[in-house]
Amino acid sequence: MSQDDDKWGIAHVHASFNNTVMTVTDLTGAETIAKSSGGTAVKQNRDEASPYAAMQMAESVAEEVKAAGITGLHVRVRGPGGNLQKSPGPGAQATIRALARSGIEIGRIEDVTPIPHDGSRAPKGKGGY
Amino acid sequence: MRVAVTGTPGTGKTTASELLESRFGADGSAADADSTPESDDDSAPALEVIHLNRVLEDEGLYTEVDADRESKVADLDALATWLEGRDDVLIESHLAHHFAVDRVAVLRCDPDTLEERLLERGETEAKATENAESEALDVILSEAVDEHGLESVYEIDTTEREPADVADALEAVVTGEREPSAGDVDFVGYLT
Ligand SMILES: Nc1ncnc2c1ncn2[C@@H]1O[C@H](COP(=O)(O)OP(=O)(O)O)[C@@H](O)[C@H]1O
Ligand SMILES: [Mg+2]
Repeated sequence: MSQDDDKWGIAHVHASFNNTVMTVTDLTGAETIAKSSGGTAVKQNRDEASPYAAMQMAESVAEEVKAAGITGLHVRVRGPGGNLQKSPGPGAQATIRALARSGIEIGRIEDVTPIPHDGSRAPKGKGGY
Repeated sequence: MRVAVTGTPGTGKTTASELLESRFGADGSAADADSTPESDDDSAPALEVIHLNRVLEDEGLYTEVDADRESKVADLDALATWLEGRDDVLIESHLAHHFAVDRVAVLRCDPDTLEERLLERGETEAKATENAESEALDVILSEAVDEHGLESVYEIDTTEREPADVADALEAVVTGEREPSAGDVDFVGYLT
């Protein structure tokens, strides 16, 4: 890996109904640099998916990530994210904004939300995710 | 009344719905064997069980085939039209929450267990994994709440629960014996 690659990582943001979880890895995805969840920022279970919890989580992860020498992050968002909210979910949005505010450069943002399927599946965009 | 039974593939919708279907008596109720006259009011009204995937196949109500997923892309408008006039039904499908219904039962299952169930059913690794991830992220629960509101959603955790138990839980949704709920399980740990 070149020196330049070392400065970039991937933020994997998982935004579920109840929670927002973020893992930052190197570009290969093999090495975990930092990890946190909305649950660590708030006391009430039902607040774990809130934008506030996501923001707090992202701010603390950003400090860890910067301390590890990372200057930029690509973001991979998965999940509908949050009660009654639209894609990409308030948790995911708040996470990305907080990372950017902390001075980390944001690269590509990809939505890689999985699609439930058996012999059939919903058309893309239905359900909004 | 229209009831949707939805949930990620592998949560046991077809199994539980078929069990419930067999309980709907010829007299139009689903009285338990041990039911007394006083408890008759609690028995489920007989609903016609619609396995929506079979309708989609039999009537050809899809727009294209997703080759990567070996999955037919549902024509939701055509399915909604097909459902018109069918008012006392239990619609069983992971797409059921996309239609006009009065109550939505969302079956849930721990993603690792779900993956095992799907592999055992003979699905590919890719299919099992994508569905387990969908379940971990509450994709269908979120859609159901988004489309119908918290007051109409009834979450049922099927992990380590016998199919007959799950059918009981469904029956309680149909009879109105239980309150709505959503977000009681947290499977996001599967992803990290
Ligand atoms: N409550 C349960 N506990 C354990 N295994 C189950 C249960 N319900 C269903 N299964 C098994 O899991 C697989 C998926 O069940 P199925 O009813 O086809 O799910 P769905 O219709 O939601 O995709 C089947 O192989 C079935 O036998
Ligand atoms: Mg089925």
